[in-house]
Amino acid sequence: MTTAINVLQALLLILGAPLVTGIVGKIKAAIQRRQGASIWRPYAEIAKLFRKEDLVPPSASWVFRFAPKVLFATAVCAVAFVPVLQPSALLGSRGDFFFLVYLLALGRFFLSLGALDGGSAFGGMGASRDALISTLAEAPFLLGLVAVSIMSAHADIPGIVMWTLQRNVFDISAVHILAFTSLAMVVLAETGRMPVDNPTTHLELTMIHEGMVLEYSGPSLALVEWASAIKLHAMLALLISLFGPWGMASTVSVWGIAAALLLYLAKLTALMILLALVESVVAKLRMYLVPDFLGVASAVSALAVIFTTLVKR
Amino acid sequence: MILLLPLIFALLGAVLVLGFRDRRAATRAALTIGAFEVASLGALVWQVHRQGPQQFGRYLRADGLSSFFLMNIAFIFALVLVYASGYLRHIPEGRFSSPRWFYALVFLFLFTMVSVCLSANLGLLWIMMEGTTLASALLVGFYNTEGAVEAGWKYLIVCTVGIAFALFGTIVLYLAAVQAGMNPAAALDWVALMDAVPGLGFDPHLVKLAFVFVIVGYGTKIGFVPMHSWLPDAHAEAPTPISALLSAVLLNCAMYAVMRYDAIVSRATGPAFPHTLLLIFGLLSMVVAGLLILVQRNLKRLLAYSSVEHMGIIAIGLGLGGPLGLFGALLHTFNHSVAKSLLFFSAGNVRHNFGTLRMDSIGGMSRTLPQTSAALVVGSLAIVGLPPFGLFISEFAILSEAFGQARFLVVGLFLVMLSVVFGGFAYHLLRLLGGEPAGVPSSPKLIPSEYAVMGIAALCLLVFGARIPHLFGVFLQEAIAVMR
Amino acid sequence: MGLVAIATAKFLGSFSVFLFLTVLLMVVARRISTSVLLFSLQSAIITAEVFAMGVREKLAAAYVVGALVLLIKVIAIPYAFFRLVDRLKSPRDVKASTTPTQSVFIAGAMIYLSYAAVHSFGQTVHVPEDALAAAVALILTGSFLMVSRKKALMQMLGLLVLENGIFLAALITTFGMPLVIEIGIFFDILVGLLLMGIFTFRIRDTFDHLDVSKLRRLRG
Repeated sequence: MTTAINVLQALLLILGAPLVTGIVGKIKAAIQRRQGASIWRPYAEIAKLFRKEDLVPPSASWVFRFAPKVLFATAVCAVAFVPVLQPSALLGSRGDFFFLVYLLALGRFFLSLGALDGGSAFGGMGASRDALISTLAEAPFLLGLVAVSIMSAHADIPGIVMWTLQRNVFDISAVHILAFTSLAMVVLAETGRMPVDNPTTHLELTMIHEGMVLEYSGPSLALVEWASAIKLHAMLALLISLFGPWGMASTVSVWGIAAALLLYLAKLTALMILLALVESVVAKLRMYLVPDFLGVASAVSALAVIFTTLVKR
Repeated sequence: MILLLPLIFALLGAVLVLGFRDRRAATRAALTIGAFEVASLGALVWQVHRQGPQQFGRYLRADGLSSFFLMNIAFIFALVLVYASGYLRHIPEGRFSSPRWFYALVFLFLFTMVSVCLSANLGLLWIMMEGTTLASALLVGFYNTEGAVEAGWKYLIVCTVGIAFALFGTIVLYLAAVQAGMNPAAALDWVALMDAVPGLGFDPHLVKLAFVFVIVGYGTKIGFVPMHSWLPDAHAEAPTPISALLSAVLLNCAMYAVMRYDAIVSRATGPAFPHTLLLIFGLLSMVVAGLLILVQRNLKRLLAYSSVEHMGIIAIGLGLGGPLGLFGALLHTFNHSVAKSLLFFSAGNVRHNFGTLRMDSIGGMSRTLPQTSAALVVGSLAIVGLPPFGLFISEFAILSEAFGQARFLVVGLFLVMLSVVFGGFAYHLLRLLGGEPAGVPSSPKLIPSEYAVMGIAALCLLVFGARIPHLFGVFLQEAIAVMR
Repeated sequence: MGLVAIATAKFLGSFSVFLFLTVLLMVVARRISTSVLLFSLQSAIITAEVFAMGVREKLAAAYVVGALVLLIKVIAIPYAFFRLVDRLKSPRDVKASTTPTQSVFIAGAMIYLSYAAVHSFGQTVHVPEDALAAAVALILTGSFLMVSRKKALMQMLGLLVLENGIFLAALITTFGMPLVIEIGIFFDILVGLLLMGIFTFRIRDTFDHLDVSKLRRLRG
């Protein structure tokens, strides 16, 4: 039964991802006092792209065709580690958050390779920028997760979630505040959101992620877009489960799961509103300032780890 | 009631003098109110001498120590006010630069300093010390030149930070008092603390921590090295009467605050800890300031560093303790303020005549400005501690105490630095007074007010060098008695 | 009433964490207005702390002091700062002498130092360790801001943060000093800020910039 719930969690994360992107876009439009596209638009986009033809540049090799599939596969696998409705996940073992981080890194790596293989100038530029960002974002990502792991004395994400569930909501600890700050900054960097990257830009000079996927079309593009949406959804779900999991079903029952689902949707909505606000208010950082931004995230996460020695459990 | 009079007159002076737009009228008003002020201070001092400590309400009190410092303030203020009335003819008119604003700010400044000496409550002491910084900041930046603005800003920032640390020290002492069982409402009252400290068990760590912060904080106002960075700038860029007030009176007020805390902490944890700190800061100030005197190029900066050095000497006297040490320190506060005022008055005259204070662009002053040169020589001889001037007596007393306590390192450093300073002053003076005359003075003769003021100061130094007037000696003994 | 008591107790237990967060954000802020907003936030947290303490210890004076802090430090002073920034018409950049990453590490070191300091004195004073460490951290941060920021306005802000830390330390250890003294201290701070404001105008008029690191005419 638990496994069935876990599968349900994974499917929720995968299938609900385009909706998350759509809702964030709609909220941003509302803040900018526009109508904005419908929240179901991303689904229509992906469906349309699957029907189209896959164009490949003549100079590209197998890497170009392979990259989107790797990206999608790693995103789907990453989903299997994140608890949503109950404190357990499809794949969860000791040290699994290391695996999660490097799984996502693997996907990014292949995307960069594919962009380079495509042979266009924008692909190369986007790939080089993305390499810098993902290198710098790796440290705070890991350190933030490590800090939370040390606090909870568990090495797997479901274990951390179970520990957090037992604590009081109001006993906020400095470690969690610091880890949340640094992980939030990492989420912005990893998913290519403002202020690190603009997901809606059409100006080549401001493209990082968009530059890398410029050459893709048809089903490959559909896979890439869907994978990005899945990454965003998975990382938001990870933030929720690590820092605010209260409401998750501790026993498997229909009402429990339903309640957990509703609470999760509420928290997710809150995070989406926050994300839309941040994206609308903050200006995109110039490229030479992104290392500063991620440097601050690294320092904050390093502090979080140091603080685990100071703060009482 | 008599406690309130000096405060009322000072405030009244600050407000009233603003009403006189005419320069002459403002000066006359200032002089009149100043006379009342000095008279009321004198009356207060006499009352304390006759009837013992006076108290007004919960926050104001005058005892032997405060009246000694008030005497000092009154004397120097009288000299400075008379000098300023003549000096202001040099100040160009401008917004906030007119004489009435000058006098108003000076009276406000005086109000805060008198309040410091009359505070019975350590919290009020702090508030008024910060008040002195605020009242004098605009005075330091009075000329609105680049140097003055920079000096004023540095003064404001550095002293406010220092005083913030002193606030922390006050809080820690308050905490120690409350934890030892004192009534919170009385835990900042100096007399109550002095009475309670021997009996109740004050936590020695907290008291020591409090004193460290207090000496660093108020030490910033005194000008102890290494917190002295604001002092040369502020004293050099301010108008001359203000420089005299700052060097001669304000530094003494800050020392007064430290003495009050020293009394409490010595009673609580024994005199070893606070006195060691005072000795360290004193020696450090003497050495650093003494060495820096050698390389000065601006006359007023030279005098400012000399103030730092003499504050170091006073701190050494306090740190040594004992009957002679305390005697020497208190006497030195008075002697130094008189000598420093004389020196600053001469420097002001130099500035007005030559337009600059850079010593390498002035020469042969003995021929071009004979009277000012004489005053400068007298002041310099006094400030380096030569007999027959008063500073010799006070420094001798401090040295004797050091000998008596067999602190030969202190004696050695003291004598070496005195020689260094003597050499420095000699070198600078010879270059100023001797050699070819450079620059044409605009008004080589001293006007009567300046003449009178400088003459009185020089006379005072001579008299005190010969024999301390009996009445003064009595006041001094009363002050010493308070500290024990 | 029970809910208020619980809320105040929880708040008193965990407010220092938010102060640490403001400390961290303040050292990386790149615009003067951001720093001022963070100071306002810091003062708001301290105000809440004052009121919570008033509720718990049943001290009437605490409400007066809390209202003063609210009026002066949360509303009046930030507003004055914004007006000052507008009227000075100088670049809004903070002009830090350390990069953001270095600043965060220094802030972290300061927080660690403040915990160490509180540990060594914690036995004598019976107060929650986190709160006192937050106060010491504020003092250190204020000093750091004054030293590493080259704009005159930022030096004033550093001074204000320093004073915030001292006030918080006094609050936690002694539940505040006698009311008259507290009011006097506020008055002093206000007048001090007024004077510093006057001086920044003078600096701008005389030197045409507000970079205090360039005020080095007087040396030696």
